[in-house]
Amino acid sequence: MSTQLATPTRGKVTFGGVLRSESIRFFSLNSTRILLLVAIVLNMGIAAIGVWGVGSFAGEAPPVPGAPDMSSAAFTAELVGSGLAFSQLILGVLGVLLISGEFTTGSAVSTFLASPQRLRVFAAKATLITLLCAVVQVIGSTLAYLVCMPLAKNYNMELDYFGGDFQNVLWYGVLAVVMAALIGLALGALLRNSAGGITSLVALFFVLPAVTGLLTLVADWVQDIVRFLPDNLSMSLAMPLSYPSELEQWQQLLGVAGWTLIPLILGAWLLKSRDV
Amino acid sequence: MIQAHELTKKYGAKTVVDNVSFTVQPGMVTGFLGPNGAGKSTTMRMIVGLAKPTVGQVTVNGRKFASSKHPLTEVGALLEAKSVHKSLSARSHLRSMAATGGIPTSRVDEVLELTGLSQLNRKKVGGFSLGMGQRLGIASALLGDPQVLILDEPVNGLDPEGVAWVRNLARQQAAEGKTVFISSHLMSEMAQTADHLIVIGRGRILADAPINEFIDDGLSQTIVRSSDLELLMSSLAADGVQLTRLDAETLRVAGPDSESIGRRALEAGVVLSELRPMQRTLEDAYMELTRDEVEYKSRILNEAVAGGTN
Repeated sequence: MSTQLATPTRGKVTFGGVLRSESIRFFSLNSTRILLLVAIVLNMGIAAIGVWGVGSFAGEAPPVPGAPDMSSAAFTAELVGSGLAFSQLILGVLGVLLISGEFTTGSAVSTFLASPQRLRVFAAKATLITLLCAVVQVIGSTLAYLVCMPLAKNYNMELDYFGGDFQNVLWYGVLAVVMAALIGLALGALLRNSAGGITSLVALFFVLPAVTGLLTLVADWVQDIVRFLPDNLSMSLAMPLSYPSELEQWQQLLGVAGWTLIPLILGAWLLKSRDV
Repeated sequence: MIQAHELTKKYGAKTVVDNVSFTVQPGMVTGFLGPNGAGKSTTMRMIVGLAKPTVGQVTVNGRKFASSKHPLTEVGALLEAKSVHKSLSARSHLRSMAATGGIPTSRVDEVLELTGLSQLNRKKVGGFSLGMGQRLGIASALLGDPQVLILDEPVNGLDPEGVAWVRNLARQQAAEGKTVFISSHLMSEMAQTADHLIVIGRGRILADAPINEFIDDGLSQTIVRSSDLELLMSSLAADGVQLTRLDAETLRVAGPDSESIGRRALEAGVVLSELRPMQRTLEDAYMELTRDEVEYKSRILNEAVAGGTN
């Protein structure tokens, strides 16, 4: 009898264990590996097309008055990062799938039987996707830089990996994709549905900016909304020339933090309180 | 041990589980029996914290499962067949579950072997048949060698060999002193597996007793056939004996057992051409118990029951 009543020596659930469990599942799925690969390839491709297009165009035509100076080093750095919006979308979708998949396939039952502390599972998922997005974005941007370097040299454009402009694109780019992925994760937890989560994500990052952008032509006050959309906040941090903003940098960072944390807290709360 | 105390679950206006209290003891197999929609699955989901009770509480080994630090070694549960991501292989799924509690991969191979899945451990779960999904669910439940085993309709979709295997597994786990709680809507299945039965209908507990009480419950009935029925009836007439004449030569006797009927007949010098005890089966007891509590009544069944109890 005594051996049965003794505390089991194994089977203790830890945050590290849940994180390991999540990564085993993540990397066992083909869909996630494909999404990560697509994000990296798109990043490289769009950057190369951008640098090539602008390089050949700037060489022939005179500068357009009012437009950003296309020959500046800062602008070239931003061109290399121009795949960022797509990375945001793809990794945001990954964030949605990471949790909506639990509910659409019914695997949530297994997950929460193995770790009944639901918030720990949510925290593990958030940690996993944050780390992955950061790594993928750094790899994607670095590869994009490596592809673009010979092109830039060809068109006499200035491009420096360790220069302030590219470092800006690189690290605020990481912030932008992490924000998108965590918003995706939160949407997945709130809606528990892949199609709904992805649609909401696309609406937030693509449809809403487009619609409000058009509305600014009709009403001035819409400008104030556009400024605080997650897409605009994160893009203007990474690429201030292409996405000019009237906000201070700390205001932008605060906005990004708000767009990340508020949905996450809501999602965590609903995940904990709702029945599986 | 599982202890439920005044458990109630409402979905909107509908009460699925209605003020349910019961205890599932270790060292035996407890059957949880009820028609479809009686609240079995909801009760089981509340035990493991996947659904929150509207009122009341339930504990596993004295604690709420939701705060368990060793969930996999404490409770193993099969709640839905294929509660697995469709694009995962059986092995990846089990490895992922095991990693949560630091359970070694060798145990994953062990339960795959045990459930007969080791041949197709690389096959995607989406392509599994119902029976294979059920086996994987049982494998997941056994992963942590848990003290409490909760199986919701485990034999659904299993072949006869699998059904027998689940039965053995349940008996063997109970013999090791573990708590085994199995739901089913089939009395015939429970009759062969369970030591104790909890019967639920429309969210309420209808019976909670050792399985043999379900059979012995009520008066024993015997069919007696004789050409001299009048004499036999007068010799049997006594307090507490119910005599129902079925035809010119046949009598149904409720009360005394067949042996004492035979003795009375001998004393009265009546020749019996038939003396047949009517076995009240578990199935009859269950039908009787749940007749008014079936959520989704089918007319044919209903008429059959009415006709069978004339």
